[in-house]
Amino acid sequence: MTPPPAGSVAAMIRPAPRQKESATNRDILAVMDGAPLGYWLLLLLSVSLMMLAGGIWVYQVYKGLGIAGYAHPIFWGVYIVTFVFWVGIAHAGTLISAILFLFRAKWRNAINRGAEAMTVFAVLTAAQFLGIHVGRMWKSYFILPYPNQRALWVNFKSPLLWDTFAITTYATISILFLFVGLIPDIAIARDRATGWKKVLYTVLALGWQGSSRQWKSHNRSVLHLSGLATPLVLSVHSVVSWDFAVAIVPGWHTTIFAPYFVAGAIFSGFAMVLTLMIPIRRIYKLEAYITDYHFENMSRFILLTSIIVGYAYASEYFIAWYSGVEPEQTAFWLRAFGPYWISTWIMIICNGVLPQLLWFPKLRVNIPFLFVLSVFINIGMWFERYVIIITGLSREYNPAVWGVFVPSWPEMGILAGSFGFFCTFFLIFLKLFPIVAIAEMKEIAIHEKAHAADHSADHTAQGAH
Amino acid sequence: MPTIMGIYELPAQAAGVVTKLRGRGFTEIETYAPAPFPEVDDAVIPKPSKVRLLTLIGGLTGVVTGYAMTVWMSNNWQILVGGKPYASIPPYTIIAFELTILFGGLLTVLGLFIYGGLPNFKSSKAYSPRFSAEDFGVVVECQDRDVAEVDALLRDFKATEVTLVEA
Repeated sequence: MTPPPAGSVAAMIRPAPRQKESATNRDILAVMDGAPLGYWLLLLLSVSLMMLAGGIWVYQVYKGLGIAGYAHPIFWGVYIVTFVFWVGIAHAGTLISAILFLFRAKWRNAINRGAEAMTVFAVLTAAQFLGIHVGRMWKSYFILPYPNQRALWVNFKSPLLWDTFAITTYATISILFLFVGLIPDIAIARDRATGWKKVLYTVLALGWQGSSRQWKSHNRSVLHLSGLATPLVLSVHSVVSWDFAVAIVPGWHTTIFAPYFVAGAIFSGFAMVLTLMIPIRRIYKLEAYITDYHFENMSRFILLTSIIVGYAYASEYFIAWYSGVEPEQTAFWLRAFGPYWISTWIMIICNGVLPQLLWFPKLRVNIPFLFVLSVFINIGMWFERYVIIITGLSREYNPAVWGVFVPSWPEMGILAGSFGFFCTFFLIFLKLFPIVAIAEMKEIAIHEKAHAADHSADHTAQGAH
Repeated sequence: MPTIMGIYELPAQAAGVVTKLRGRGFTEIETYAPAPFPEVDDAVIPKPSKVRLLTLIGGLTGVVTGYAMTVWMSNNWQILVGGKPYASIPPYTIIAFELTILFGGLLTVLGLFIYGGLPNFKSSKAYSPRFSAEDFGVVVECQDRDVAEVDALLRDFKATEVTLVEA
């Protein structure tokens, strides 16, 4: 066949472009294909736990909050402890996505998607505990300022109202953040999917094609969402801490609470990211994307926040002693040596002492060690909230109203169920959406390719001389 | 009008060719990129995205709503405590802050939809799954008489392929 004359329209017609697949797409989308038996077993366990908790909750609705051990003087029990725990877990996602984005820390690209998904599911888990805790869950909407027949408005001076607004905003912004980041990746999955998944991704990708107009708006939106989410993430746990700090209970009424809670939240959130990402990386062989370097960076964050948390513990004791206020002194003495001494020492050892091992550079990249440590931190952080809430309430000013709280079986069942709920949604997410942000990993890969091209061009130029 | 597409491997090539084409007076240019590369997007659309306007509107609406709602509601249902004013600005700042973020975030995403043209289920002829792999596409609409020039320009920047999307 003779080529048509150059410059004519016919000269431009070429065969259909050959398809070159990106290795990043292939490796990360592979996580979504098929599932090993272990996945289904884990999902079965999670769903069972969730349903068990659902059953216990129905029983609690029928019998009343008494079965949860709510009795004088302790009306904030394990449900509130677990609520604070899950809100804390939710903090790492936005920290990684928003704050590290603003600091241009590119290493976040490998872990931000997993952390964002974790954030969304942790917030949703936490939010349920507010409903479970109030007992008459179907009246939870009373806390919203809605027009009603008695023309009654809510009391905005109450920290519980601040909490409502903070948690609602946090849940909404986390979901938006996750979704906006997912759009380009869903489009990647759409271009490669078949069957019902193709339909699902086509709808969710909203017709994303990666045009300049779309990327331009997308970049700007991510920047602005990060700018908005950064103060938000710091405010949410501050507001949660004010639920306690605004009350006059000894052990709660301190100004250190907001930064102390925020540091603790980031600490526990990073630990949970490790707990989740270490097995995922191993099972799905994502070592090329989530490297030891990422784990080392997260270890450094954990070490830093552990020091802040440890400092806060020490500072609380110092101020209790230095204040000369007897109820404060008694409260803190009884924390360490009273009926809840075990919880207190678990908290101090797991959060303040064990993470100090991360000073050793070898341990920062020792993955089995990091996994075990992250589990201990999760346990320690749950106990931190337990110590703050339960010991505070059980030892208030007047010894005549002191009491001892023992967690009840419905509380522990629903606590276990909250892990089931969280894991169920995380496991489903893992199968339906890319767990590593593909477009952002590609951004790094293409930058490296461009860099390599520059280098080889330099070498050619030098050779020509 | 003929539509010609060049395929590139690197963002700098795509950005370079777009700048050159715009310099020659071609305005109907679209690019497809597998990942965010501001140099490519800025070459096509030099102006900053208008999403920022919507974020500002959202944030301002939020802060005004937050204070107005709380102050009005406290005065509408009056609870007198210690002879102090019904409305108390410091705690209401928390509500105003959270609503600033909430409305700002919601309008930012609305901005993404409006200015990014989403959702849009009409697929363009030039798009292909290779742009969600690792290729960059530069698509130019031009007059018949300019085809040769555009073709040469696209190839100047090391296009791996130049194809005619539409005659």
